[in-house]
Amino acid sequence: MFKYMKYEIRGTYRYILGVLALVLILITGLYVYIDRMGRTGEISAIGGTFMGLSVMILFGTALATFLYIVGSFRKELYEDRGYLTFTLPLTGNQIVCSKLIVASIWFLGLGIAIGLYNILMVAIFAPVEVSLSELFREMSAIVAVRKVLFSIISGIFSIVNMLIIIYFSMALGRVTFRNKRIGGLWFIIFIIISILLGSVALTISDYLPYYLDLNTSRIGTLDSIRINYQINIDVNAVAVKTSSDMATINIASTIFNIATTVLLFLGTGYLIDRKIDL
Amino acid sequence: MKNIVEIKGLTKKYSSKVALNNINLNIEKGKVVGILGPNGSGKTTLIKILAGLLRQTSGEVLIDGRSIGVYTKSIVSYLPDRSFLYKWMKIEDAMNLYKDFYSDFDEEKFNELLSFMKLERNMKIDALSKGMHEKLNLSLVLARNSKLYILDEPIGGVDPVARDQIIDAIINNYNEESSMIITTHLVRDMESILDEVVFLKEGNIVLTGSAEALREERGKQIDDIYKEVFGE
Repeated sequence: MFKYMKYEIRGTYRYILGVLALVLILITGLYVYIDRMGRTGEISAIGGTFMGLSVMILFGTALATFLYIVGSFRKELYEDRGYLTFTLPLTGNQIVCSKLIVASIWFLGLGIAIGLYNILMVAIFAPVEVSLSELFREMSAIVAVRKVLFSIISGIFSIVNMLIIIYFSMALGRVTFRNKRIGGLWFIIFIIISILLGSVALTISDYLPYYLDLNTSRIGTLDSIRINYQINIDVNAVAVKTSSDMATINIASTIFNIATTVLLFLGTGYLIDRKIDL
Repeated sequence: MKNIVEIKGLTKKYSSKVALNNINLNIEKGKVVGILGPNGSGKTTLIKILAGLLRQTSGEVLIDGRSIGVYTKSIVSYLPDRSFLYKWMKIEDAMNLYKDFYSDFDEEKFNELLSFMKLERNMKIDALSKGMHEKLNLSLVLARNSKLYILDEPIGGVDPVARDQIIDAIINNYNEESSMIITTHLVRDMESILDEVVFLKEGNIVLTGSAEALREERGKQIDDIYKEVFGE
């Protein structure tokens, strides 16, 4: 499986590095322009156009990169390269898992690189006289480590969950109309599955309203935990309820989301092994 | 002699169209078998089922006694009828991929084949002509010491010089311990290397047997028998 990941990475890294270079150049340009605008107070027509174009290119690049990364799986199903991939001595699960790990690495890697670069830009263009240790001390007083860890795990899970739904949708689209290439069909299936899973997760959390408080490890209903909360439902409908000082997760809907992710993963592997005809 | 391939009652349907109709076929170890038939006769469907790219509608297919899966893919060296290598690769990358995934890949043999085919390791895949693609693909496939080679139209769409080179490469590199299945409708060119022939027409086996026995029995070359069978 790791051997396959190696070739998956080698096939995509040039595009990813190109995207990263483009994004970092645009971000640098934006910071430089905003800094100059802040000092002179002038907004030139060229500067305004540059900013507008840059933001549009950034959004366009983000979308293109997303489609490029998830499209790697689609290419196996619809292009001749599938004749190589699906005749390698690998199971469907190994192929899906490799694609999943590499796509997650790219999404996380790009996110972290762009995030860190933004911090660097802020440090250059708006330097604050604070030592790093002081900054971390201040931050740890405000944000609990558990909450940060939870956010990271939750973020990674969201990416994996979304990718699995996309892969399953693509495989299902290929099986449903095996000899026809219908553009965007996978996206329609993806939307339907996402809505379905989200609705079920919400219903489950209504029927089984027991939450785990990540700060105190207490389990109870929201009333019993007595928190002020606001509801944030992410794209995968993981029922996460957070306040400024704590985070809770609905136990039943979280188990449901994990179980469906595993099932969709196995389902995609099954479709590759038993159903897809090239 | 033990069979490397055992096919019982194999049927493949695409919606209502029957591509293979209740095929029964055994292929003995050490034989070179030609699956002959015109376009649309079911040759590629049969090959793709053996390679694990298509699922049968019904029937049983065994390679080396095992159902199609990871094991059979590890012992089958398959040449599709199209360019299947990743486009970003150089020839060297393709070789490394084969080395990584197939323990039976022989790098020395591959180098000899490359040299015979007049190809260089640093050539980019997407810059190769159709004929060069065919030669590279065949070099990769033949460089494996596999139990079963499956070649789908290995000389289809290439010029006569490349055609001769490809046939020579098959003859020179074929391992007698192995078996080989070749599909083709260019019978005259391939006839000399076939031990057995299977004539496939509209998804049915209409004639099968030893190439030599058929030639003797009918007093004709396989190419002429082919014309007789499919020329009606």
